[in-house]
Amino acid sequence: MSLAETEPRIMASKERPAHQQVDIGTGHNGKRYCHHYVNELTALARGGEALITDKNYVLLDCGSRDIKFVRYENGKIADMGWNAECGASMGFTIELLGHYYDIDYSTLAVPHRTFNVICGVLGMSHIFDAITNGASEAEAVARFVKGIAINAFRFAGSPAKIYLSGGLCANPLFVNSIPAETIPLGRFVLLKGLELYALQQDNQ
Amino acid sequence: MALLNKNNQKLIHNLPLGGNIGIVGVPPLQAFTILHERQAIINDLDEPLVHKNMEETIGYLPRVYCAILRTVLLNSLHMKLDAIVMDVGPGKCDCALHVATIMSDTLSIPVITTRNMDDENFGTPLCRAEIPLSKKMSQITASIQDPTPAPAPTSCQPTAGFWGVPPRDFSLLDSFPATTHVYGWARCMENKTPANLALELHYNPTIPTVFFAQAFCAKTALAKHLASRHPRSLFLDADVTAGNSVQAKIQAFLELSGVSLDPC
Repeated sequence: MSLAETEPRIMASKERPAHQQVDIGTGHNGKRYCHHYVNELTALARGGEALITDKNYVLLDCGSRDIKFVRYENGKIADMGWNAECGASMGFTIELLGHYYDIDYSTLAVPHRTFNVICGVLGMSHIFDAITNGASEAEAVARFVKGIAINAFRFAGSPAKIYLSGGLCANPLFVNSIPAETIPLGRFVLLKGLELYALQQDNQ
Repeated sequence: MALLNKNNQKLIHNLPLGGNIGIVGVPPLQAFTILHERQAIINDLDEPLVHKNMEETIGYLPRVYCAILRTVLLNSLHMKLDAIVMDVGPGKCDCALHVATIMSDTLSIPVITTRNMDDENFGTPLCRAEIPLSKKMSQITASIQDPTPAPAPTSCQPTAGFWGVPPRDFSLLDSFPATTHVYGWARCMENKTPANLALELHYNPTIPTVFFAQAFCAKTALAKHLASRHPRSLFLDADVTAGNSVQAKIQAFLELSGVSLDPC
């Protein structure tokens, strides 16, 4: 198998071959498409173990529809959380807003002000209110993204340093809005966890 | 055994023979003794007994409220009961005290409130037995209705701990191994001393333990506090049902803590 075939790549759900089943999977639709499902928190934690050399750390995954974190102390799991309700649709909403308002997030500075956002969907009304009150569309969306970033950061326990996973790692406005030292690991941390899991299974 | 006050003794003695009685929390042992004498059919209203929409309770209780007490009210609204014996003492909670007032004002049947201060230890063999956790918890909740000590199953070496109350949704317990020992208020239930705070505070620091409380329950503070003191713990709360994220947290915590899910 060539290197290109083993490199992670992204495929839109609608392009996935019908009835395709993979050997091992994770994620919110994973159970439907794989023979062996690994819970997302476990995949995240295992991926963090593979990629992070610190013994004490917080790893926060911000995906399209939920947020989750693991906290390690002395190399062992110490806390974890998964918010699929109040953290729902954060990444999804940020992407949607970017398309709707034609915003390039890499060009937006972190705003001084923020919204108190606890949910991607419910928080959108703040944007409309801010625009009504004279803020530019870009400024309003930037405040919204900062609000989401701060909410996710608090959910993870407000650490001084935080490792990031998930699609929002590619959004500099989101990453720079987190009031801590941030180390983005990219969107394939869970995949790394799956890889380790599969290797363990093979060894057994 | 702490005695019921004379008014409550009289009320329970006067219940119809073979009556259909609801209980809430862990009423005093003497109440169960009299109920058995009256050949009462006992229904534990803390558990979901009717298939009705929980939203029906919002006419009486805030939507953001303990799911157990919302369940108590929902059961009470739909079941044909002759009376309810409801503990509202330190072995239950202030919320139950206030819900008792609402039920007393709303229902057409007597709501007899008790304050269980029983302090005779009946032991906790079920909490330490090798039984699937959901089944074990069912046996614990059923055991409170029996005024005599149950036959003691053999205890097993624990591989995990569950601290807390019987959850509103028992499927929350499905991911635990059968070798999970039970702590917290559920342990107090089996011991028939629901107000025994010292027993409720007890946990085993050598085994990975999930500290659970129902969302919006005062015990969330204690669960979170004890979890922070335990070296390998997970604080967990859940409302009406145990959703995917709750189940995933438990599974991940047990797996990452090295707990084998195979029975011993």
